[in-house]
Amino acid sequence: MKLSKLIKKIQFVVIATGISSVVTQLLAIREFLSQFNGNEFVIALILFAWLLLGGAGTLLARSVKKSASFNRLCWLSVVLAALSPIELIAIRVLRDVFFIHGASVGFYPTLAYIFITIAPYCLLLGFALPYSLIVAKNAAPDYSGTRIYILDNLGDISGGALFSFSLVFLVTPFKSLFIANLPLLFAAYRLYHATHESRPSILIGAISAMGILMAGIMIETPSLVPFKGEMTYYKESRYGRIKIIKDREQYTLFVNGQPMFSNQNTNMAEEIIHYPLSQLKSINSVLMISAQGGVMNEVEKYHPETVDYVEIDPDITDVVFRFGLLKKIPGLNIINSDGRAYLKNTNKLYNAIIINLPEPDTFQINRFFTDRFFYLAKQHLAPGGILSFYVKGFDSYISDTELEKISSLYHTVHTFFKNILLLPGNKIFLLCSDKPINKDIPTLLDEKNIMTDYINGYYYGNVTNERIERLSKQIIPDSHINREYSPQLIRLMFSQWFFEFSTSPAGFIAALLILTIIYLVRITKEEFVLFSTGCVNMGSEILVIFAFQIFFGYIYLQIGLIITVFLAGLLPGAMFGESIRRQGKQLLVFADGIMIMLLVVFIASILLFGDHLPAFAFLIFGFAVSLVCGCQFPVALYIQGGEKPAAINAFSADLIGAAFGTLLTSILLIPYVGILWTAAGLILFKIISLMVIQFNNETHIPKTISII
Amino acid sequence: MKPISRRQFLSSSALALAYNTLPSQAFCALKNIADAKSGQKNIAGKIFKNDGPQKLWKWAREGCNYLTLPGDAVVCGICPNSCILEKGDRSICRSKVNFDGKLYTLTYGNPCSINLDPIEKKPLFHFKPKTRALSIATTGCNFRCLNCQNWQISQAKPEEVRHYDLFPEKVIIKAKEKNAASIAYTYSEATTYYEYMIDTARLAKKNGICNLWISNGYINEEPLLELCKVLDAANVNLKSFSDAVYRELNGGRLDPVLNTFKIMHQQKVHFEMTTLVVPGYVDDPDMIKEMCRWILKNLGPDHPLHFLRFFPRYKLDRLPPTPVSLLTQFRNLAIKEGIRYVYVGNVAGHEGNNTYCHHCGKLLVERKGYYIPTYNIKNSRCKFCDTVIPGVWT
Repeated sequence: MKLSKLIKKIQFVVIATGISSVVTQLLAIREFLSQFNGNEFVIALILFAWLLLGGAGTLLARSVKKSASFNRLCWLSVVLAALSPIELIAIRVLRDVFFIHGASVGFYPTLAYIFITIAPYCLLLGFALPYSLIVAKNAAPDYSGTRIYILDNLGDISGGALFSFSLVFLVTPFKSLFIANLPLLFAAYRLYHATHESRPSILIGAISAMGILMAGIMIETPSLVPFKGEMTYYKESRYGRIKIIKDREQYTLFVNGQPMFSNQNTNMAEEIIHYPLSQLKSINSVLMISAQGGVMNEVEKYHPETVDYVEIDPDITDVVFRFGLLKKIPGLNIINSDGRAYLKNTNKLYNAIIINLPEPDTFQINRFFTDRFFYLAKQHLAPGGILSFYVKGFDSYISDTELEKISSLYHTVHTFFKNILLLPGNKIFLLCSDKPINKDIPTLLDEKNIMTDYINGYYYGNVTNERIERLSKQIIPDSHINREYSPQLIRLMFSQWFFEFSTSPAGFIAALLILTIIYLVRITKEEFVLFSTGCVNMGSEILVIFAFQIFFGYIYLQIGLIITVFLAGLLPGAMFGESIRRQGKQLLVFADGIMIMLLVVFIASILLFGDHLPAFAFLIFGFAVSLVCGCQFPVALYIQGGEKPAAINAFSADLIGAAFGTLLTSILLIPYVGILWTAAGLILFKIISLMVIQFNNETHIPKTISII
Repeated sequence: MKPISRRQFLSSSALALAYNTLPSQAFCALKNIADAKSGQKNIAGKIFKNDGPQKLWKWAREGCNYLTLPGDAVVCGICPNSCILEKGDRSICRSKVNFDGKLYTLTYGNPCSINLDPIEKKPLFHFKPKTRALSIATTGCNFRCLNCQNWQISQAKPEEVRHYDLFPEKVIIKAKEKNAASIAYTYSEATTYYEYMIDTARLAKKNGICNLWISNGYINEEPLLELCKVLDAANVNLKSFSDAVYRELNGGRLDPVLNTFKIMHQQKVHFEMTTLVVPGYVDDPDMIKEMCRWILKNLGPDHPLHFLRFFPRYKLDRLPPTPVSLLTQFRNLAIKEGIRYVYVGNVAGHEGNNTYCHHCGKLLVERKGYYIPTYNIKNSRCKFCDTVIPGVWT
């Protein structure tokens, strides 16, 4: 067979590996979110572990020399395809082996679990890319490492698009894996056919891998069987995993493994509805952003003309009515939209806006607890109207972190409302209005002849005047406002999470810093540029995702678009860099300068235009950043000599830099200093990179000696 | 310092020997392997090595019921954890430290939570209904319950929280100011601030104020007997009737808790029992049946039993709430077994919130939350059939 045909077949394997790996990664993230606390810290840890292990796998390929063969590449691809469903099932079923069923898990066990369950797949995946290069170079010594980088990106883009725009809507996780791995098995098979050194055992291997992928589909639903009760409904919606568990007469809605509410939810439903509505004389319209079991029965007692219930996920609204968790009442309008986007686009005024959302421990949820959201809510309240929301409460003592959280929320909402009443309990309710608010809720209900089981009987014992006053007095006077650009609550939620598990991330951060320093000391200056570029690229991606959330509401569908745009920029960037790589160091300097400029433009645009920026401005920014990042890779590789070890080191620098950037931006910079300063931090990082490369006096001559 | 029993001394000494011979990490690793082999997960707390304060603060007092071991180590004798503390170590409950070879409590006179609660909230349904209890708590717990509703203080060290300065005399003054009929030692685990509790309780007794112990019941016999002398009522958790569940969800053991019930029964302290029905863990009717039979055999039919509805909380937040019909079933089951007063808690408006005469079956106490609209007990007897209703009613 002609050499060019063989190379093409290797290239097909690389692209197929990219498709398979991105789909596997996205499904692994979703699975982890269903098994663990889905806060940004955990998401960042998953991405970090994925990229780091990938980088480590890449480094392992350094030891491979002449032993690399087509045959082994086929095996590698087959094993990789088989490992993807095994990884997913491991994430799902090992949780109850290592941890206590029904219990949340703290930071270090989560970290260890992530590393243990994804290590085999990620190490092998990281190994596969440079191995493919080595095999290609063994066949054609002048084969460029950049080409592999480009093809890998092409596979990644295809995988991202395949999952985000079709698989997530159409099929279950294991079916997605089956589909995404077919090209890889087919590519391995084609390569096997094309080479003389192959043995039939590879075919058997490929069939076995196919069997494992199909077995995944077979055990998909049985592997979700609940610990207690019966799973009467299961769907992977585009927003997460929805399950309805029936235990006797009780139906409970689970989203991403977390019980949301059941049909036996009287106490909570009464508190949510009667605390705000009892304050109003007449009620025509009520807006509910998301809901809790039983709330409609309570709202009905006020006979409002309209109740607008906004829920982003149509699958949730479908099941909550179908299984009787919510009742359809007269005047009810179901609106499947992001609550914030809905408010932005409607002119309706409401007597009451009631927010029923989980704790603001993700950027996504935090958007409903910021100054800009409260301002938006106020604009949609009729005169004398009331806004109500709640967060996790306490029984007998409020911790310092929880107090900071409540104080921040209090001051944030107080900017827009004259009166705020804090009602303590298992949930702390914040009632906000420009009219005075009466804390004697049972008396208000008596006056309206509204009967309740919980409030009338328990309010005076659980929510006493003494407790209300004590909580109000404890509010910290100078606590920070939870702003869009600087999400105080996210930082506090991280602290609270660590506090709940009596642990601290200090050890992890220290270990990470030491390892990073050791790594940075050992790499070349060109690799440092790639490390910083990987970091800035990933950091910018997270910045864009976050900014998008602030300005355009929920971005679940757009995340696919953003990721695709970021990946898409790398491809032409790498091709362009490859064509002008002989410019060498000057091009690296120039690209660093452009990156700095782009980040400066990002900051200036947000400061100057904010809300008025169109969506495509962010996409153009993302594309431009990744274009420049992509351009640097072939240049740095050329300066390094372009040989296998250099290419391997370059791949790993890029991946490790991306891992570092993920952690740095999402769990450290954005929560603690906000998005504008995060962008400034990335600029600083690039300035350091610029200095490193600018003051590098070594004249690097491309190496010409092959180590093969 | 109080002497400890010979049995306690022997077990403590054996533990101390093993502890000093084996490096602590190896000890823990061996223990974990043993747990894994037995298929059980154990979340029991561990001693905090070298975590004691550099100097003692105003709210430190020398502990009672402890033993000094060779080498300045001490063994705390308050609860079955029997913490062996070397110099500078802190106990599992986080409240006790070995300071210069002596055991000190760091929670004497520094409650971090004070509230005036309806007595029904404890829950105590057969003890002075409609009265209020001054409820106090310091930090600390000898368990690690995954569903703790007071984890902010139970799993905290005394130095980590905002607290009041309230020595026993002041507690009495406060209780009188608030017109509280009793003082409840509650929220966190009262056993861990035993010294503060017993001194306050003694003073309260002298001042005609009742003492309520709201506890997990994980206490040694001697301190319990001493406490019983000043206790008026207690609500003690019987978290499960399975030692494995105790280890997995609470980090404790069942037998010492059962022993607590027996002692309190012998000492004629009024107590009620509470079982949180956790789906998947404490929801087996056979286990509940076995539990009821044990109660009847060892404690008799008169101690009220409360089945509480579980809600996802703290770390145990990935389970659904308990179905209400299961609580009803357990109540019926317990009544059928012979326990006379069985209640359902955390379910507003449930029939199981009320008290019915065990003899004539008529409604004695109707409860709408903490509000009592109907009350048909006179002189501790049923108004309808004159049967004596167990409890303290006036």
